Amino acid sequence: MSTPLLQIDKLSKQFGGLAAVSDLTFHVNEHEILGIIGPNGAGKTTAINLVSGVIRPGGGHVRLEGEEVTGLLPHVLARKGLVRTFQSTTVYGARTVYENAVRGAYLGLYPGATAAFFNTRRARAMRAESERRVGELLEWLNLADVAALEAGSLPYGYQKTLGMVITLAARPRIVMLDEPVAGLSAEEADHVRDTILKIRERGITVIVIDHNIRFMKGLCDRVMVMNQGHELTTGAPLDVLANPKVIEAYLGRGHAAAHRI
Amino acid sequence: MFSPAVLGQVFVDGIGLSAIYILIALGFTLLFGIMRVVNFAHGAFAMLGGYALYYLYGGLGLPYLIAAPAAALIVATVALVLERVVYRFFYQRMFQSMIGLLGLDMAIMYLAVIAWNAEERSVPPSTDALLHMGSLVFPAQKLIIAAIAAIALLAFYVFTHYSRYGLAMRAAAQDVDIAEAQGVNSTAIYRLAFFIAIFMAALAGGFYAQTYALSPFVGEPQLMIAFIVVILGGMGSIPGVALGGLLLGFANSFLGTFYGSATSIFVSFGAVILLLIFRPWGLLGVKEA
Amino acid sequence: MSKPSTLDSTLPPRFASQPTAHAGTVRTPRRWLAHPAVVAVVIALLIALPFFAQDKFVLSVAVTTFITAIAACALHLIVRTGHVSLGHAAFMGIGAYVSAIATMNFGLPFPVAVCLAFLVPAALALVVGPILLRLTGKYFVLVTLLFGEIVRTAFVNWTDVTGGSTGISGVPAPSPFFSGAVPFYYLALGFAIVIIGIIGRLLASETGRVIDSIREGEALARCSGVPVLATKVAVFMLGCGIVGVAGALQAHFVRYIDPTSFALEQSLNLVVINVIGGMYTLIGPIVGTLFLVLLPEFLRGYVELQHVFFGIVLILVMAFFSGGIADAGALLKRIGAGRGGAR
Repeated sequence: MSTPLLQIDKLSKQFGGLAAVSDLTFHVNEHEILGIIGPNGAGKTTAINLVSGVIRPGGGHVRLEGEEVTGLLPHVLARKGLVRTFQSTTVYGARTVYENAVRGAYLGLYPGATAAFFNTRRARAMRAESERRVGELLEWLNLADVAALEAGSLPYGYQKTLGMVITLAARPRIVMLDEPVAGLSAEEADHVRDTILKIRERGITVIVIDHNIRFMKGLCDRVMVMNQGHELTTGAPLDVLANPKVIEAYLGRGHAAAHRI
Repeated sequence: MFSPAVLGQVFVDGIGLSAIYILIALGFTLLFGIMRVVNFAHGAFAMLGGYALYYLYGGLGLPYLIAAPAAALIVATVALVLERVVYRFFYQRMFQSMIGLLGLDMAIMYLAVIAWNAEERSVPPSTDALLHMGSLVFPAQKLIIAAIAAIALLAFYVFTHYSRYGLAMRAAAQDVDIAEAQGVNSTAIYRLAFFIAIFMAALAGGFYAQTYALSPFVGEPQLMIAFIVVILGGMGSIPGVALGGLLLGFANSFLGTFYGSATSIFVSFGAVILLLIFRPWGLLGVKEA
Repeated sequence: MSKPSTLDSTLPPRFASQPTAHAGTVRTPRRWLAHPAVVAVVIALLIALPFFAQDKFVLSVAVTTFITAIAACALHLIVRTGHVSLGHAAFMGIGAYVSAIATMNFGLPFPVAVCLAFLVPAALALVVGPILLRLTGKYFVLVTLLFGEIVRTAFVNWTDVTGGSTGISGVPAPSPFFSGAVPFYYLALGFAIVIIGIIGRLLASETGRVIDSIREGEALARCSGVPVLATKVAVFMLGCGIVGVAGALQAHFVRYIDPTSFALEQSLNLVVINVIGGMYTLIGPIVGTLFLVLLPEFLRGYVELQHVFFGIVLILVMAFFSGGIADAGALLKRIGAGRGGAR
């Protein structure tokens, strides 16, 4: 078995007296789509915040390709190929779709303050390359037609997709999606699912957090269920969802026998 | 240097200052807590309260216990016009309120200069009597100020916890939309909160004028005081105002007496900056989501 | 219906030819004002000014305008990262004192003094920046206000160095040549053109895009690889250093340093200039400076009324025109389009 792309060991975080995440251990293999589900308050968002450097962990380790990256700031992680989307601030609302995408390409686009100031050859080359890359990205994900429109005025589903485009523009190895289909209709969710599958086809590993079980079932290779800050079980979607402990976590005791998902 | 007599003096001064500070800051935090407005013009109303007291007490010679609240009432009533004409546009718009009300502060201040010129005046104390307690000698005036302030604060507490309007105000402070959905008339509540806030500022301004001096520019230090107390205690927190006011009052009294006013400023401002950096929600405030 | 953004400059050709909701091009006033031809004409007029107006008063007002514009544009850099500082005048004062002391007590030549007037405030910004810039919105405003007051108190009380409340008098001119009104006018104009030009270029380059992304979506920018805090600190240092230079110019122009001229009132002026003119475009502070300078001229001799009027204007602008004057034109257009246009 090759080393997993992302390895999380005993990650934990306390807020005041509350253990939001405790001893969380899981891994993500390269090219796979891992789903993280769990009832409200299970610690999913905290977990992704810890891994992506938004919050500093209280304890535990995060390793990317074997390299220790625990507690590094988000922009450093982005440089190492780990990016994420956000549930609330999805896009730069007042800017065009194109501008949004270009901003995501910061790492490949920005030549440094001096080079940018003098518009050196290197700066121009980097910009040309990034624009080409972004253009291709927009075409590939069918956003080329709306590139000139204001991001905030797009339908919500498009905005979510744009959020993913922003991360893709950074040429990541692994993308973490925070509730990519929250608030979307079934049709829009299917479209997002197809987009994520396309992303994986390009060789990018994906971690998805969401509540929509139907969506996760049709998308993920493996699913990890979190409850009360730690991992409950991990496995193929159908197995995990039929697991009585999982049903119990979602619906409470007594339901396990009576329900089949 | 730290003899009991001097320390006693410092203590009494501290009480006097704390009373004024708490009154000023209470109105400030009320406006922030309920309307999300940072009232940069708060000091200006305190200054106007000082002038009102000057005319009612120093000029007309009304008895002090009538002049002080009456002065504050007059200022607060007149200020209601400004509530309709200016403040209304800044409710729930914090950044705009900062700059816009700074403009109002400037306008009021310089209108005062035009009306009363920039000279400093003094407002006579309510009594020149001195109280003796052991080896301590202090002006009765300070105690009277503290007593009036305490009554005002007590009245405020009773009002907000036991009267219908007071409870509505606290509901609006928590969440305006929900309060409205429950039938609270936010416009009326805003007006009421505004009136109370300005009343207390003007009351405090009268005391301040008696303690220090009176001029159109005397509102500025009072605004700073309101800031510091509110930040110390936590923006929007009423108990925080009490705590912050006491802390600042005694700190200023102590530092001012033994180390001079510059040190006093450095320390209090420095403490506030540190607090803003490490604990911006103040000692008793609530961390914003 | 989706609308095209009026904020972005250029789209690559393949996207620019798309049908958009607005048929005609939306030329916002600030776009028009920044056109190279307009800028060239303005600069030419400014260069020619002393030939038409030898009046010392006019030249003096012009120099003050240039210095204030430099200071306001320096603050603008910081505002573009999303932080409004109500203590910027403190850094201006530091630059003024540093330059005066360097030339008077240490006999250093003016160019060296100006460099110090840049470096010292920038160094202070480097020290306090990483702490202050972690604060958000209103807390940053409050902290910078208090910081400015602390610095002012230091100016007034550190009598040995700063001369206390009497300040420093007898600050020399930059050199015998520049002691005249007209030569100093050109010196100030030169500084203004170069500095504002540099700021403009910086904001128009990719760095400007990075700065805007930090302001508009800090979390997004961070996760795209932007070192947010480091960038903010760098911009903060630049903004404080430049305003220090403005302070030095002022010291050597007025030949006197009055500590009260670098207090809250001046800081507020700089913020107001940015807000009134338009906070997120460089034309804003330039327009705002003109506004702030011209306004008192209408009420010359009535200092108090000026302040009252100014205060009222502030109220009106903040209540109704949050976007600033430069954007008022676009705002009106949008209102007009909304009423009559297809929606």
